[in-house]
Amino acid sequence: MKNKVLLVLSTSGTSDEAVDFAVARAKKDGAGLVALYLLESSAAGEVFDTFSAIGFIGEKPSTELSESIMKEYRQRGYEELGKVQIKAMEEGVDFEPLMEEGDFISKVLKLIESTGAYVAVMVKSRKRRPLFKYFSRPLAEEVKERAGCEVVLFTES
Amino acid sequence: MSVEIDTRPIWLILLRRAVRPVFFLVLAALFVILVTMPTPVGLTVGGQRAIAIFLLCLVLWITNAVPLAITSLFAIVLVPLLKVLPQKDTYALFGNEAVFFILGAFILAGAVMTSGLSNRIALNIMDRYGRSPRKLLISIFLLAALLSFFMSEHAVAAMLFPIVLEITKGLNLRPGKSNYGKLLFFALAWGCVIGGVGTFLGGARVPLAIGILKETTGGTIDFLDYTIAVLPLVVIMLLAGYFLLTRFFPIDITGVESAHTVLAKRLKNLGKVTYSEYAVGAVLAATITAWIFFGHAFGLASVALTSVVVLFVFRLVRWKDIEEYVNWGIILMYGGAIILGTALDRSGAASWLVSGVVGQWAGSPWMVFAMFSILSILLTEAMSNAAVIAVLLPVSIGMAGRLSMDPAMLTYAIAVPAGLAFMLPMSTPANAIAVGSNFVSVRDMVKGGVIMTVIAVVVFNLVVAFWWPLIGMGY
Repeated sequence: MKNKVLLVLSTSGTSDEAVDFAVARAKKDGAGLVALYLLESSAAGEVFDTFSAIGFIGEKPSTELSESIMKEYRQRGYEELGKVQIKAMEEGVDFEPLMEEGDFISKVLKLIESTGAYVAVMVKSRKRRPLFKYFSRPLAEEVKERAGCEVVLFTES
Repeated sequence: MSVEIDTRPIWLILLRRAVRPVFFLVLAALFVILVTMPTPVGLTVGGQRAIAIFLLCLVLWITNAVPLAITSLFAIVLVPLLKVLPQKDTYALFGNEAVFFILGAFILAGAVMTSGLSNRIALNIMDRYGRSPRKLLISIFLLAALLSFFMSEHAVAAMLFPIVLEITKGLNLRPGKSNYGKLLFFALAWGCVIGGVGTFLGGARVPLAIGILKETTGGTIDFLDYTIAVLPLVVIMLLAGYFLLTRFFPIDITGVESAHTVLAKRLKNLGKVTYSEYAVGAVLAATITAWIFFGHAFGLASVALTSVVVLFVFRLVRWKDIEEYVNWGIILMYGGAIILGTALDRSGAASWLVSGVVGQWAGSPWMVFAMFSILSILLTEAMSNAAVIAVLLPVSIGMAGRLSMDPAMLTYAIAVPAGLAFMLPMSTPANAIAVGSNFVSVRDMVKGGVIMTVIAVVVFNLVVAFWWPLIGMGY
């Protein structure tokens, strides 16, 4: 039974087209919409590392900086999920918001499995795996290859 | 309890786990080969080993495979172990004035931040002068630069980031879309970078360079002389940065009233100026005055540490605050860099590198100066600016002797451009937070940074050619 469309937005990529598509697809198929806003922990961590390892700034200002970045990301996540919710309500689609922190590929694959989503809508950002950064594909393309469901990719808007 | 199952292909998991051990094994093997290979003609055994340690540290500093301070530990351990310098001499280099000056400057900056003085100054300037989008942008740009004259540019970036972030929220700017958002974060990052080269206090690189200069030649550079020599560069780079940024990202908002609501709220929360803020401000002002007028006679480190003692005598800071604001890894990092630089010099490795490698394509003092300043600014994009100094300065000092140049001039040629990292987020923490804000993309930074880097090299060399003779300096 087709019952869940998974929309994945993240700190490294959002797209109005992806949101429109996910809501329209859920409406057309009579499915529910699960919208995930993923806080990629590496982003704040990288800044923290740069400050403490290269800038030799003490623990307190580095931690405060990292926390203010995560707080900002969370706030942006709420705003993005709020926009999706409004769109879903306008179209009469069941909506479930999620905000999680972690690694893009493993989190999304796990969520596809746990929600039983039959289609995942993702935003293809320029972000790559840290290892072999310059030789690998965008993370969303990796998920597409490994996911056990249909994956629709959009580019960042 | 949940069990995380790694669903990646087994070859990928094994490859990722093997990369680090293989990297260190290969590095260790190359190091052993360099140490045991026949000693090249003209080089001493100690020099050969110093070059092997130098290359090992260079790879680790560029790859960041271990923290910078730990790379310095490699130098500290290997230099006496391989008998490049006696153990007693190696550890005695930690007593270098530069290390204690850097420590004192970081503690002072920690006190300024803990007291809230820097925050108050920043908010007041932005609130008072930033009455239009253009003025607010200029006030953030100049404020970041000005504060970086008096405290570490990294500390300034960390302190200003939450304020600038709140301003962008107050103005409803969209990350990645808003030109004005980009401008504000670029102004923060580049203001810190440019201002950071204005005095000894903007970063630890200049004191480190002077530490190596003193250990190898006995020469030094005074606090005020340095600032007078680089001030035109700072002013021109600020102007160039402003014009470049506003051409690349034209201002796309018309008013900044809501930003002032944010600033006014923050200022109100600070309350009245406290005794601690006045007193820390007075200590900082007295310290800078002493550095300028008595730095040569008393020593920069002695002045810095006296001020630190005064802060504690009058209970203006608590040890706990200082512990949290200072990263003690600086002692290892800078101590190790001085040991490496001195080992290269005393073992004869630096002069061998100069005569055998670098010297072949460096004919005149002008060319040497330009070559080292370009190398320094390029390397600083890929590695820590302190590491750039540890790598380039000993060689350049050897070159100075060969061409009868003043080694202090080549210290400028490396120490100043080493601070001018505009291109990449990993080059300097200020750039990292501009990109971390999501307002500025790496592509934006590279695009503007390439042009700023070219301008910096040209302007620096023009300042040296036309300004320095007017103040009695030259090759």
